[in-house]
Amino acid sequence: MNGLNEKLLAAHDREDTHALIGLYEAAADQSNDFIERSFFLTHAFVYALEKGDVQADQLHGRLREMGRI
Amino acid sequence: MATDLSGVLRPVAKANGLPNEHYVDDGIFMEERDAVLYQSWSGIGVTADVPEPGDARPIEFLGMPLLLIRDKDGDVRVFQNTCRHRGMVLVTEPKKIEGAIRCPYHSWCYSTKGKLVATPHVGGPGMNTHEDMPKSDLGLIEVPSHIWMGVIFINASGTAAPFEEVHAGLLDRWKEFDVPLYHGGEDSTFTLDVQTNWKLAVENYCESYHLPWVHPGLNSYSRLEDHYNIEEYGHYSGQGTLVYRQLEGQMGERFPDFPNLSDKWDTGGEYVTVYPNVLLGVQRDHAFAIILEPKAVDRTIEHIHLFYAEPKVDEALRAKNATQWKTVFQEDVFVVEGMQKGRYGRGFDGGRFSPAMDGPTHCFHDWVARQILGHRQKVAAE
Repeated sequence: MNGLNEKLLAAHDREDTHALIGLYEAAADQSNDFIERSFFLTHAFVYALEKGDVQADQLHGRLREMGRI
Repeated sequence: MATDLSGVLRPVAKANGLPNEHYVDDGIFMEERDAVLYQSWSGIGVTADVPEPGDARPIEFLGMPLLLIRDKDGDVRVFQNTCRHRGMVLVTEPKKIEGAIRCPYHSWCYSTKGKLVATPHVGGPGMNTHEDMPKSDLGLIEVPSHIWMGVIFINASGTAAPFEEVHAGLLDRWKEFDVPLYHGGEDSTFTLDVQTNWKLAVENYCESYHLPWVHPGLNSYSRLEDHYNIEEYGHYSGQGTLVYRQLEGQMGERFPDFPNLSDKWDTGGEYVTVYPNVLLGVQRDHAFAIILEPKAVDRTIEHIHLFYAEPKVDEALRAKNATQWKTVFQEDVFVVEGMQKGRYGRGFDGGRFSPAMDGPTHCFHDWVARQILGHRQKVAAE
């Protein structure tokens, strides 16, 4: 997670929204905690929505399956 | 302070202009904002400001933060540029909305049609809904807008009758120009930052009386007697010419005409103010809009845009045309700034109007005065 965290911070620094989508989803996939996973998926979804990224639908589906949206 | 407007409402031959306070007093400026500029259909920009779907441009209109946006279906919309959550301004610089408008504060997201589409963590960490936060109730606040002659008009108060109803007379008068207008692009737009009250720009634009004195270059072909007044009390005013002469390039090239115009427009041109703040001009081969942005009681930014009958017209001729109009409009600056300075003279009583020549200006004053008086009655009744 430390390496991923550094990548996330770097992506935030350079305002690389496309990178943030994948990095937040990766963070969600690494987490075993339900709330933490939905937290990271939410961020991935919001950035995908902002960019009109094709991942938005898939991420929305994951959150819906978790009852989080 | 409530000014005495009875003198304005007399017939033009006996009337006085609006009192000085309407040009120098901050309180009256705010009253006019509410009574005149917010209550009516005011111009705030042109559709060319947001040419492509997803283009968004934040503007302020008399302090109100607005967002011009062309939605995903190509329709131009105007929203209050304020998040429905904690009131954060959403967009601070022109940008392309690729997917959704994301508030930079808590990341609530809106579609380009203003629909609230995401409320991250609104129900707690990772929980993106809450039963008391229905998205359908919390879309962006849309401001009623209307597009005409390439100009975006809004009714900030939301209380005006539909644009087509308010301006039915002018729309009918100029129905021949209800055709696609193509903005000339970056070289066909410019701004003038003028130290004057917004109304003085309207007043100067409405009348032809000043032309031979302020624009002597026009005298050679456009004499005072070749002009006529346009004055529709309660609606609009301006002036027309019978001797519009087309611009020509070095090889005699001209701009293409708007299609299917009647003979009237062979040498005709008309210059009308769409009350309160949009100055329009139409001729056979191009049109223009001047959108007055009141910044303060004594400061106005004029946004000038030139439009043509076809998307791509001759570049050199286009530049020549922009230069010609810029010269004319700059010649007017000392006049509107001078009238502004003159209104600090305490004995000035609003001035008198030439019954023959100043009807269009009085027509505007009469309209402004009636808007204000109507507003005062409403406020008094509340």
